[in-house]
Amino acid sequence: MRFMIIRKADAETEAESRPGDGVSQELLAQMMSYNEEMAKAGVLIGGDGLMPSSRGARIQFKGGKPTVTDGPFAEAKELVAGYTLIQVGSRQEALDWVKKWPPLDGHGHVELELRQIYEAEDFTMTPEIVEQTERVRDLEDKNQQR
Amino acid sequence: MRYMIIVKGTPAEEGRAPASELIAEMGRFNQQLVDAGVLLSGEGLQPSQSGAIVKFEGKKQTVVDGPFAEAKELIGGFWILSVKDRDEAIAWARRIPFTDGEVEVRRVSEVSDFIEDDVSRPALEAERAMRDTGKW
Repeated sequence: MRFMIIRKADAETEAESRPGDGVSQELLAQMMSYNEEMAKAGVLIGGDGLMPSSRGARIQFKGGKPTVTDGPFAEAKELVAGYTLIQVGSRQEALDWVKKWPPLDGHGHVELELRQIYEAEDFTMTPEIVEQTERVRDLEDKNQQR
Repeated sequence: MRYMIIVKGTPAEEGRAPASELIAEMGRFNQQLVDAGVLLSGEGLQPSQSGAIVKFEGKKQTVVDGPFAEAKELIGGFWILSVKDRDEAIAWARRIPFTDGEVEVRRVSEVSDFIEDDVSRPALEAERAMRDTGKW
């Protein structure tokens, strides 16, 4: 089963500094060891950091009509600063990985949300949609390799 | 550059099974993303009931099991697109077949965006190697 670890934003991740600015050598080392440990255990399947919401936008749909609002967005706690995707055998195993999160991140004050990812077999789908889903996955893989 | 489109939801909307018409429309939208060569990945998240929040405060860790009724906003799913600029990412977001709802478009940091110096280089090189070999 796959899980997404969501790293919630804070004032620092929302600030307009370059990523890595002011990050200590100890935190970088911790992050690297954590990611490497997960990669070697065959657990890590993806992960990225997001730039501050000032470079983002929100699109609200009402009756099918989209309205665009440019960032930044207040309430950092509700924003996402980054995510990690993991493949594990159980929810407990996922939680165990979350608890090993680099303790220096956010100067020791950080909120992470763990969420399970839907697999294709969780849906009741017609054979046509199953086929389309597989086609889309194959092409996703090809796009990633470009 | 890469952009993440985050699908927002509220606790009240969680667990509502998508209508088969929406699944079919989403399939067509995903197909358009694929045909344009912009789709890198996309996933749906299960309701927060199977999730957890882990808070780190100094040396203290607190685990709160879902569901998160107190949360104003929950993430329902996401796409990651490879596009030439922010306008293209927003143009795709506007074409999502939603009647009501909200999505957020956010730029994804690339390894090359990080400050690379003697301190950070080993970490960045390790990340590049893991991404190149498909381990990440």
